Order: sequence, then C-alpha cells, then structure tokens
Amino acid sequence: MEVTERELYTILHGLVLGTLFLLAFGGGMAGLWSLRSQLVTEEGVKERTPRLLIGTAVMAIVAWLTVISGTFIAYPWYRATPPEGTNLEDPAALADFPRYLLLAQEKTAGWHEFGMEWKEHVAWIAPFLATAVAFAVAYYGVQLIRRGDIRRAVMIFFVLAFAAAGVAGLFGAFITKAAPVA
Amino acid sequence: MTAPQTGTKPNGPVAAVFVASGIASLVLGVFVTLNEVSEEINGFLRFDANYGLGSGVGPLSGKVALATIAFVVSWFVLHVLWRGKELNFGAVFIVSLILVGLGFALTFPPIFLLFAPAE
Repeated sequence: MEVTERELYTILHGLVLGTLFLLAFGGGMAGLWSLRSQLVTEEGVKERTPRLLIGTAVMAIVAWLTVISGTFIAYPWYRATPPEGTNLEDPAALADFPRYLLLAQEKTAGWHEFGMEWKEHVAWIAPFLATAVAFAVAYYGVQLIRRGDIRRAVMIFFVLAFAAAGVAGLFGAFITKAAPVA
Repeated sequence: MTAPQTGTKPNGPVAAVFVASGIASLVLGVFVTLNEVSEEINGFLRFDANYGLGSGVGPLSGKVALATIAFVVSWFVLHVLWRGKELNFGAVFIVSLILVGLGFALTFPPIFLLFAPAE
C-alpha cells in the first residue's frame, strides 16, 4: 500500500477540498432556502445566520484554494512534455505524461480535447460566484431575510458556482481514472 | 436608482460584487477564445514564462490571472461607485447572469474552438 506525493496531492485537491465544497454547498443552500419569514422566527434567523455565513465563506475559500492549487500545482504535472525522441503514439512510454497519454489513443483523446479543455477553464468561474455569494451573506447578515430579491439571486449564483465546480470535479475524476497524475 | 428598502442596507455593494463576478467570467471566456485565435495572444498569455506566475502552466496562467484582476478591479471600482446606493437589483442581476452565461459559453470547447484557425 503506497501513495505517492502526487497522488496524495490529487487526493487533497479532489477528495478533501471537493468534500468540503459539497458540505459547504449543502449547508449553505439549506440555510438560504429556508431563510423566509414564514419559516423562521426572529430568534431562528439570529441563530442560523452565523452558520450560513460560515457555509458560504467556506465554500468561497475552498473554491479559491481548489482552482489555485489545481492550476498551479496539478496542471503542470498533467501537461508535462515527454523528453525529445519519445514515441507519442506509444501509451506505454507516456505513463508519466497524462496529457500525451490521453492524446495518444483515439478512444481517450476526447478526455483531453473536451474534458480537460472545459474543466481547466470553467472551474475558475466557481470562486468568482462563490465570493459574490459569501459577500452578500456577510453584508446583509440577519437582514437577508427581508431582502427576497437578493436572497433569490444569491441562491442562483450559489447553484451556478456549484455547477461550474461540479463540471470540473466530474471531469477531474474521469480524467484521473483514464490518465492518473502519479 | 430606486428607493431603499426600509430597515435594510442599500444594495449597491452587493450589486457591485455580482456584476464584478460576471465581468470576471466574461473576461475569462474572452481570453480562452482569444488564445485560440492567434499565436501572438497565446504567447502573451503565457504568464508563467513571461512573468514567473507558476511553472509549466502555459497560457492558462494568463487567462486566470487576467480574469482575477478583472474581478478585483471591477469589484473595487463598482463598490466605490455604488456604495450607499440602492439600485434596481433585478436589472443588475440580469446583466450579471448574462455576463456569467457568456463566460460559461466561451469556456465550452465546441464554442471557443469555432474561433481557432482551420488546420
């Protein structure tokens, strides 16, 4: 049983941060959804607002950490270039070069040409939207219950942030399975 | 400008961050697309080689750096402009959604590859 340094990193990037992101989204979304005057008392709003702020702030922080670490640590491993003279059509020679390994075979090339090309870009939309959500929750605090227009917008941005991260996470899992960064 | 809602803070600062996130998404999508258009832009976006922003990241370093700069700068500017003001949030949100939608679309490979030169 062995985990390489790169595998450990990809576990942190995808599994640990990804799980935190999911938890923060679930908690934050439940809090936003039920933040309505007919559902919650004034005391209830005061009680749940700090939790809502923590959930949305954690989601924003995790989104930034995930895209920064993914882009500047894991992505260079993924796109590393094989040494001069390597046969780019021989998968066996490309085990340490995931991008080239995927492109070497027609059946896996789509994981790079569509999956990775979309994942590496769309993921970056998540932290922008999640930051907007966290700021809105922090700014209004307990007043958010009286701002239905803002609350609805926050929920839509929250879902879009989750969707962007979800696309990236899903393709990340598939690509790692097809060509692990190890 | 609309009347502030009783007992709540003005929505200007929240409007600012919503529009800023839309601008950042669009800037990201535009540079993803421009990267495919010309070799010069591809070279410019290699912030890792040009400015030491990471190593081996390639043009992605420039795309995400420019989008992040756009986010921070537009948020700051709009925050200063709209601080203490109550805006028509419905209109602001629709603009933000359109910007985010365009950004999403331009990061989608079948769309941005339409702008790549024919091989």
